[in-house]
Amino acid sequence: MANPNLIKSSYLIDVVKHRWHYLTISIVMLIPCILAMLYLMFTQPNHSPVKLGIDFTGGTILQYGIENSVTPEKISTIRFELEKNGISNPIIQNISNQSSEGGIKNIISIKTSFIGEKNNKQINKITAVLAQNTTAPQLISTTSVGPTLGKELLKNSLAAMLLAFLGIVIYISFRFQADYAIIALAALFHDAVFVVGVFAILGILYGVQVDSLFITAILTVVGFSVHDTIVVFDRIRENNRFLAKKYSSGEIINASVNQTLARSVNTSITTLLTLLALYFFGGSTTKDFVLAMILGIIAGTYSSIFFASVLLAWDKEIKAKKANAQSN
Amino acid sequence: MKNKIILFWVIVIIALICLGIIFNKPTSLGLDLVGGSRLTLEAQTSATIKKITPEIMDSLQYAIENRVNALGVGETTVQKIGDKRLMIEIPNITDTSKAKEFLGETAELEFKRPNGVGENGELIWESTGLTGKDLKKALVGSSPGNGEWVVSIEFNQEGAKKFAKLTRELVGQQMAIFFNGELKSAPRVNEEITGGHAQITGGDGGFEYQEVKNMVDLLNAGALPVGAEIIEENSVGPTLGADSIQKSKIAGAIGLALVMIFMIFYYKAPGVISCIALIIYSIIVFAIFKIIPVTLTLAGIAGFILSIGMAVDANILIFERTKEELRAGRSLFTAINSGFERAFTSIFDSNMTTIITCAILYALGTGVVKGFALTLAIGVLVSMFSAITVTKNFMHLVFGTGELKHPALFGLKQEEIQDAYSAVETKKEKAKFGVLD
Repeated sequence: MANPNLIKSSYLIDVVKHRWHYLTISIVMLIPCILAMLYLMFTQPNHSPVKLGIDFTGGTILQYGIENSVTPEKISTIRFELEKNGISNPIIQNISNQSSEGGIKNIISIKTSFIGEKNNKQINKITAVLAQNTTAPQLISTTSVGPTLGKELLKNSLAAMLLAFLGIVIYISFRFQADYAIIALAALFHDAVFVVGVFAILGILYGVQVDSLFITAILTVVGFSVHDTIVVFDRIRENNRFLAKKYSSGEIINASVNQTLARSVNTSITTLLTLLALYFFGGSTTKDFVLAMILGIIAGTYSSIFFASVLLAWDKEIKAKKANAQSN
Repeated sequence: MKNKIILFWVIVIIALICLGIIFNKPTSLGLDLVGGSRLTLEAQTSATIKKITPEIMDSLQYAIENRVNALGVGETTVQKIGDKRLMIEIPNITDTSKAKEFLGETAELEFKRPNGVGENGELIWESTGLTGKDLKKALVGSSPGNGEWVVSIEFNQEGAKKFAKLTRELVGQQMAIFFNGELKSAPRVNEEITGGHAQITGGDGGFEYQEVKNMVDLLNAGALPVGAEIIEENSVGPTLGADSIQKSKIAGAIGLALVMIFMIFYYKAPGVISCIALIIYSIIVFAIFKIIPVTLTLAGIAGFILSIGMAVDANILIFERTKEELRAGRSLFTAINSGFERAFTSIFDSNMTTIITCAILYALGTGVVKGFALTLAIGVLVSMFSAITVTKNFMHLVFGTGELKHPALFGLKQEEIQDAYSAVETKKEKAKFGVLD
């Protein structure tokens, strides 16, 4: 007994009728992302689609906690004096840090090329320059990555990403079908390109760089995106089992997307709630990481509803036409 | 019903045990939270040692451990990473300049003899086989003659014999003492020295106290079998660490509260149940972190908070499905049961992909990434247990009697549900069918 309410004639979201609307939104969102990535690939000497941080290029970041925030003029003075002391091209940033009472109010971050044990004294020079220009700077963190290690980290991270993609595709092909896996992969690229692209844009506009946590964020987004897509696919698989004879695949996919809609949206909301709490109240070191995940989860929810299902419906439609042509 | 009450008490006992563990075991916090330094050393090949073998790494680790202990800075760890790297973790210190100078030095002490004269009239030195390995210990001393700082060394038995033989052969000639390939002094040998004691003076310039102290510490810690270079450093001050813990706690609490408010607001009675399940979930995950133990880092905490989102997802999937079944005219008990059964494949498949990603991240990632993958994976695994066992059990206990059944409890209106809702079926066999049979 199939439920009479199960397949309705019209739905809030119609992946067959509004196919092009949904795909256009995806394309419009992705074009600036892809352009920004291409721009960086052509203009950066290392041909990377995003600005790479010291984790991947090698370098040293020193962070100092200071009492009062510094003016942009002061930052130029500090930069000038650092260069005079033989520290070439330092990147200086002032990060304000809302914190509990008695904590660190402002952070000054100084990025230089790699300071290893051989040029260890450079750190003392930097501290001395800051002591002259700010009140009571206190070295609160040092991050230093050698250039060869950076390259290796980048290579490993990319390998991890490719392997994760492969693992997911194999799992889906095994649990579903090959065409589901390919479409899930397309949805996954959709989300990954969106997040990487937004960071490319942020890199061009604000000099935002990505670190190894960013790769983690992308992989989590990928996991989440597939997670979302699978919930929809699982419903399609289930509905197919009972209704394939009576209804077209377009109708079944439409029904499945709408049946899982509340779940998709609510899950994203709850995850976004935790992430927003992390973004606004969590530590400053994980801010970019959390932002990447927020973007990815929004893209992932969109792609599971409006991108993966549209592609699947389209794919099934083409296959049905072919089968019809053959049987005639 | 009896089984369900037993299960309920099992869950309560597990939660209590976990609470006990949480309060009695210390949390192991990463250096980014408590403050401290992490250094990565890489063994360097040289002309004499072309390949870094596991044996070399073992002795390098041993020597580095000795040196780190000589720094006297508390609970340090030295562990091997890959084939040629060592990771050193030093809590509570942020200024690593002393540590860095100290760790990379090979500390090779060599006694050499003259062998001919070079083009510019300087002596050419030849190895004698007497090295830092033949030492028993080194001490800071001062020369009785002029009060200069000297390194006073004591040879072991074999070293003493070698040293006596060498001095006997070199009476009337110079002998050279090299430290890390650098000529420190070249005293003239006046007589055979037996007894195994000697002093290294600073030659013409003399030694600074600090130089002598460093040499003594290095000699006592033992030479490194190969050179080692610091390729990575990560230091976080204790104030920044404390700040991060404070912020993570606040963010976690606010995140959890927002999720609970949303769940209760949207799903009503089942939402309340999911909140209790969520608290039990958090308790179990935390206890597991302490049992393994997982060292909590900022990224690890982020992984845990994200897993809360995924744990809620399982509940959302189930409740949405239950509501759907109710709208389709199922009885309450049937709807709840098929809600769980139908949602399970979705939960399982989607969580498996997360586990796959975590496994790959854990296998290939570095410290930070590993921590994130581990906490997320534990979170996802526990969430499957909590959704399937805890939430289901509570749902059965609350709604299983058939007394609590007002549709508003599920956020549904009377007209949305059908007659079957009023039927009470508490047998599982009867509850097996769902929407699509």
